[in-house]
Amino acid sequence: MIPVRATFEKRRRAKYISHLDLMRCMQRAFRRAGVPIWFTEGFNPHAYLMFPLALSLGYESGCECMDFRIDGDMSMQEAMERLNRVLPPDLQIKAVAEPVRKHTDIAFADYAIALDCADASVSAESLRNAWDAFIVQPEILVEKKTKRGTAEIDVKAQSQILDTQTTGNGLLLKLRTPAGTSVNVNPGLLIDAFLAWLPEHMPDVRTGMMHAERLAILCEDGTDFA
Amino acid sequence: MNLFDQIEPLLLKVQKPARYIGGEPGSIMKDKADIRARFAFCFPDRYDVGMSHLGMKVLYSCINKRPEYWCERVFAPDTDFEALMREHHLPLYALESLEPVRDFDFIGFTLQYELCYTNILNMLDLAGVPIYQRDRGEAIAPIVCAGGSCACNPEPIADFCDMFFLGEGEELDLEVMDLYVKMRDAGATRSEFLKAASQIQGVYVPSLYDVTYNEDGTVNAVTPKDGAPATVRKRIIENFDACPSPEEFVVPFSEIVHDRAVTEVLRGCLRGCRFCQAGFLYRPFREKTPETICEQSRKLINNTGYEELSLCSLSTSDHSRIEEMMDGLLTFTENEHINLSLPSLRVDNFSTGLMNRLRRVRSSGLTFAPEAGTQRMRDVINKNVSEEELMRTCKIAFDAGQTSVKFYFMMGLPTETDDDIRGIIELAQRVVDMFYEGERRPKGKPVQISCSIATFVPKPFTPFEFHPQDTREMIAHKQKVLEEALAGHKRIRASTHFPETSILEAVLAKGDRRLCDVIYGAWKRGCIFDAWSEHFRYDLWLEAFAEAGLNVEFYANRPRPYDEVFPWDHLDYYVDKAFLIRENEKAKQAKSTKHCRLSCAGCGVTKVTGHPCFDYHQNSKA
Repeated sequence: MIPVRATFEKRRRAKYISHLDLMRCMQRAFRRAGVPIWFTEGFNPHAYLMFPLALSLGYESGCECMDFRIDGDMSMQEAMERLNRVLPPDLQIKAVAEPVRKHTDIAFADYAIALDCADASVSAESLRNAWDAFIVQPEILVEKKTKRGTAEIDVKAQSQILDTQTTGNGLLLKLRTPAGTSVNVNPGLLIDAFLAWLPEHMPDVRTGMMHAERLAILCEDGTDFA
Repeated sequence: MNLFDQIEPLLLKVQKPARYIGGEPGSIMKDKADIRARFAFCFPDRYDVGMSHLGMKVLYSCINKRPEYWCERVFAPDTDFEALMREHHLPLYALESLEPVRDFDFIGFTLQYELCYTNILNMLDLAGVPIYQRDRGEAIAPIVCAGGSCACNPEPIADFCDMFFLGEGEELDLEVMDLYVKMRDAGATRSEFLKAASQIQGVYVPSLYDVTYNEDGTVNAVTPKDGAPATVRKRIIENFDACPSPEEFVVPFSEIVHDRAVTEVLRGCLRGCRFCQAGFLYRPFREKTPETICEQSRKLINNTGYEELSLCSLSTSDHSRIEEMMDGLLTFTENEHINLSLPSLRVDNFSTGLMNRLRRVRSSGLTFAPEAGTQRMRDVINKNVSEEELMRTCKIAFDAGQTSVKFYFMMGLPTETDDDIRGIIELAQRVVDMFYEGERRPKGKPVQISCSIATFVPKPFTPFEFHPQDTREMIAHKQKVLEEALAGHKRIRASTHFPETSILEAVLAKGDRRLCDVIYGAWKRGCIFDAWSEHFRYDLWLEAFAEAGLNVEFYANRPRPYDEVFPWDHLDYYVDKAFLIRENEKAKQAKSTKHCRLSCAGCGVTKVTGHPCFDYHQNSKA
């Protein structure tokens, strides 16, 4: 039995596969690929697959993780090649390795968020100025859905802004938020707060499409999880 | 023109966006440079319904096997996405290329249910294609076509379609595409192509037929022109066992209604239940050998990765070698953690041997369709199932540990009385009593009998096509009788349906060409997704009928004499009208007809095929 941690990417059309659907999609991919995945024991055996950290719908990523076990005579390299042949081109495994860190070691995730201006009448500079005025606030309170209802959190205190740049048609942010089983903050909360703040404070600054990508899943010491 | 960049900004604003972006495993991508004709296979309902449909998978695979043709999938967008599409001027597109449907050579709809008709209009409108055929001009593309079971009476949507495909499409669709490519390359116009296509068996071009009406509103005559055949005969696949079946499915990301591998085990039905349109439309009865079924199933499981396999047919237990087939399937499904499910079992040939095999399959309860509560009523509809057989089957199931059974019934059947309605509950109660008498029943568990009671809809090409449907008032009365009969029966649950839905279904099933304007009027008033109760607006439909000067009762509630010209009489589904009349007469006397394997009832099929459907000589030896 070989335990495997696969790192895969989720791009373009595959961005819209929900977390629940991804599980089913991967289970079926193992059967198509003929990779002997380990099945759980018991009354209702099922292919054992574990995704340590869910990705929001619509987010791209090049660093998603999936753990499984090979129950038979096959190298993890071959398993990866076989799986990639049956997975859609927008959902491909990039690397396989023996898992080192535990799931509970996950502490942060880094994201790149590109926010476009609505159209040519809005300049990237004005969007940048609006963002600076927004983010300079001492605290940014948002409602966060939890298992027990909603809670108010200071999303600014929870987010580290790693980089802010203007691009040809908007703003490019890099930020780090807590991730993992105990605290998990979706960077979308901060962006949603910004979008809600804009009409009241800078009504001329209208935004368009948002592109979000997860760049890294990190442990407490700042090293990569995978 | 790939619309990805226009689609993407809308996706996170709608429910289940994965339905609108394609890219699923098994979806066929091709290079447009190699393609000579493109077919947009449109399912006029939501993705989760359409993706469950086996016929679409079959034809998708047939067309895509040809390297020069590309078949793509199109579904009706849900109302939230439709609103955004209209707001952002995003045209209806196909899920593989993400290119507009209006640029395709063929826009083909599958007609599975009459209440999808307004969705067809809505999809054509979203595509930017003129809804009425007469407005499409002489440019040859796109050709709007339709096939599937409702094509047996396509008159209510005849004005919207360039052509209909009658019967089985595996060979027919490709023949039409071949002719299209040849004629288009030679510069033919739409009408030239339609005229030529009407000569292919199975192609019905409605614009080549003039329909005249009598003063009372019935059809006077349907007259072909420009050399179109006087009757159009459906197509069938002669050698069904050798017929290519899909070895791959598009495997969806999001959950759909039937999310599993499906193998068709037989086509047609030998039973001849008089209410059942499918039982007559899909004749003759043809089956695949267990070897073919097992091989196709195994390939499908390997290629799709599905964890569940289902068998598809009108009556799986009528397969002459079902136990062999089950043994073959179970040998690999059990080893590979595959669930096997068998819908469409009959109660009269449900053997202990079959039950023992079924016990090895994880089962979510048994479903049977006695269809009627009394023996007299079952004889009228030719559902040759006796109460003893039903009881025996339920006993086998209870002894095997089942505690719930679901029954399907109908109300509003010809000659039905209130006693027949009460008979439904009485029958269910006798099953309950039998459960508690059983010694091997699971102890400490109550039994649950669920009865789903649909309103009967008389359909073309059945012996009951002559019958009026019960009026709304009659149905309401019978539902009340049922409710009263149910009082005090704690272990029985009964559910009924909206009668209005069934009434509209009857009208559209047996309607004529004048209904095109009614359907258009209903759609203009906002009717779509009529099959979904939350969208169904009967009041708007009635307005559309009134506007067209027509009424529901003429179509649904009028007994139709044997000598009347029916709107579908020029379409030939192998089954003679004379046979339907004979069967209807036997129904009136509550006389049943033996199933086809026992003796030939002379339905007319053999006159076309030229040979008996079964080897009766061998039967008698056995």
